Amino acid sequence: MKTINSICIIDDDTITVFGIRKLITTVAICNDIKTYRNGELALSELKKTIAEKNELPDIIFLDLNMPIMDGWEFLEEFISLPIEKTIKINIVTSSINKEDRDKSEVYMCRTHHNLSYNTKPLNIEEMKIMTSSI
Amino acid sequence: MLRQETENTTKNLIKQLPKATAFVGVNCNIVHISDSFLQIFEVNNLLQSSDNILTLFANSNKRLEKNLKRAFAGNKTSIEKTKFYNSENKITWLEWEITTWFDEDSNIIGAIIQLENVTEKTKDEQRLKKLEKILQVKSEIAKIGSWDYNAITDELTWCDMTKKIHEVPLDYVPDTESAIKFYKCGSFRNKIIENFDKCIKEGLSWTEVSQIVTAKGNILWVKSTGRPHIEDNKFIGIIGSFQNITEDIITQQKTKENELLLRTLVENLPLNVYIKDLESRKTLVNKSECDFIGLPSHEIIGKNDFDLYPHNIADKNRKLDLKVIETQKPMLSFENRNVKKDGTVTHFLTSKIPLLNEDKKVTSIIGFSLDISNLKEKEQELKKLFQVTAFQNKKLLDFAYIISHNLRSHTANFSMLLGFLLKEKDETERENLIDMLISASDNLLETLDDLNNVVEINTNLNLEQKKININNAFSIIERKLKSLIKNKKAKIINNIPDSTEIKGIPEYVENILLNVLSNAVKFSKPNESNLIELSSEKKSHYTVITIKDTGLGIDLVKNKEKFFGMYKTFHHEHNSKGIGLFIAKNQIDAMKGMFEVNSKVNVGTSFKIYFNENN
Repeated sequence: MKTINSICIIDDDTITVFGIRKLITTVAICNDIKTYRNGELALSELKKTIAEKNELPDIIFLDLNMPIMDGWEFLEEFISLPIEKTIKINIVTSSINKEDRDKSEVYMCRTHHNLSYNTKPLNIEEMKIMTSSI
Repeated sequence: MLRQETENTTKNLIKQLPKATAFVGVNCNIVHISDSFLQIFEVNNLLQSSDNILTLFANSNKRLEKNLKRAFAGNKTSIEKTKFYNSENKITWLEWEITTWFDEDSNIIGAIIQLENVTEKTKDEQRLKKLEKILQVKSEIAKIGSWDYNAITDELTWCDMTKKIHEVPLDYVPDTESAIKFYKCGSFRNKIIENFDKCIKEGLSWTEVSQIVTAKGNILWVKSTGRPHIEDNKFIGIIGSFQNITEDIITQQKTKENELLLRTLVENLPLNVYIKDLESRKTLVNKSECDFIGLPSHEIIGKNDFDLYPHNIADKNRKLDLKVIETQKPMLSFENRNVKKDGTVTHFLTSKIPLLNEDKKVTSIIGFSLDISNLKEKEQELKKLFQVTAFQNKKLLDFAYIISHNLRSHTANFSMLLGFLLKEKDETERENLIDMLISASDNLLETLDDLNNVVEINTNLNLEQKKININNAFSIIERKLKSLIKNKKAKIINNIPDSTEIKGIPEYVENILLNVLSNAVKFSKPNESNLIELSSEKKSHYTVITIKDTGLGIDLVKNKEKFFGMYKTFHHEHNSKGIGLFIAKNQIDAMKGMFEVNSKVNVGTSFKIYFNENN
């Protein structure tokens, strides 16, 4: 099984978080999975990690619809952070709205990070792709 | 001696004759001549008695000689005319009469020439001829004939033109009876008989327009006149004129018909039509314009817009009129708003057209105005309806999005958890999954309840609105929030007068006030007291309630789109789930009111609620 150093899940829905965690364990080994209830909490933590020059997560699972700071606001701030390494950012949303998908494509062009758009419910095959080619 | 004396006496006698007379011998030599004769030829006494008479008649001596010879032969001669130019080159017309001269024994010894100066008479004759000619030409051109009735002989004479009009041959001889029969049977004929009688009996003149039937059966309009012919104070007949005026009458009728057509058309057009002079005074108005102004046309004619409309409207119209007069160009189909003195507003589609005379100068302005108020109203209604539709459409879209997103996220969770459950062998983990499924189901039910609330607000649009005392409502809410207020150490200052009332659905109003006030209390700065101020004011047809706090505030630039969204929260508060304001927003929309929010992070929020008084 594949080993991943660090994963970050940003989602306010506990069931989704549980599901993502469970799916990860079926496709990879990761001892550092952090969860944040909204974008703001995650962002301040990541900023702190950068400042302390600690290791940033390899993969981020990002929900779009969240209180306080939603997924888009998080992305907007995150892509402007001084991060050299390419982080795989998997948007995981229940929205099948075309507008949201189009918006994600705009962000794909704007960042060097590896951005993907995924709709719930997730399955193992999708999780394999989301955790591959870091 | 005696003979000589007698001869001298004769000579002297003849010399003094007032009528120009000359006695000539058979050789045409002058024997006796009167001074008056010589005077005509301006020769005085220079002439010798033996001179030849023919020398005096330079132009016509041959004719005279011939006549004299006839006289010498004892034959009668006719009176003849000759002309003579005097020293001033003035023409003198002369008439000679020659008779044979006999001696006592009836022997022919010469001829007697008597001259008459007929210059004046000739001139008169010539003038008369000329006048006759003119009259003839005139009558032919004007188609005016003449007639003459001689009462003494009971004879009727028609001139050629009169005959032509009657379409009879020129040798036709009319009489009164047949002449009258040309008049169309009935009133025309009766009238002419009456006129004729009155002229004879009372000496009255007449002018009458009648119809005749010509000899060829054509019906014509004629104008006949007649007046008594008086000579030496005695009535001797009637003279009159006779004119064919058929063409005039037909033209007149046509003009009248055209005028009537035009008048009927203008009068009944479903358009306001008017003509104004250069001072913008109305000179013509049709029925529509009269109806619009509400006055009969005779009370409108001569008035300008300043007499009929408020000053600003009249001024605007006058400026438009002046523009048309100055540019000489029509202004077509422009929208013009009119206000009457009683305040009635009418929207017109107006055209103003300059009327130019032959010198290309504007003499008046023709105006057409079509009342498009109804159209305008419909347009406004349509705009309003469009706004409502657009607003509702957006709301529907938002709602559809919420439903698809929120419900989908729950079903996705179900699907995922069920997938796990199917594969899970471990009993504890299975129980864990089932707990989570129950929790997911509860979440779904809760979401459905929230959505149902919103649907109800948007469907029960006809809930009864009541008068609500705002301070009563606040005191109930403050009681409900008692512990929260205490916990947050909030201080509420109410500046709303106790009499303040708003109109609304009590349930909604309470929920709105509860949400806004609880937000103001809830989102206070940690460890700082929160001052909340309530106030009210009137703004047009709204009563505005303001709830102002000194709490956390919110970045509205960033969160404008989400502020009233469903499940949107902006602060780390565990028991807020972002549904309250979403519902409140739907409720104030349903009551046709609105929210207005001003906020600054770390300064506070001012939340204004507009309650509509008109609903």
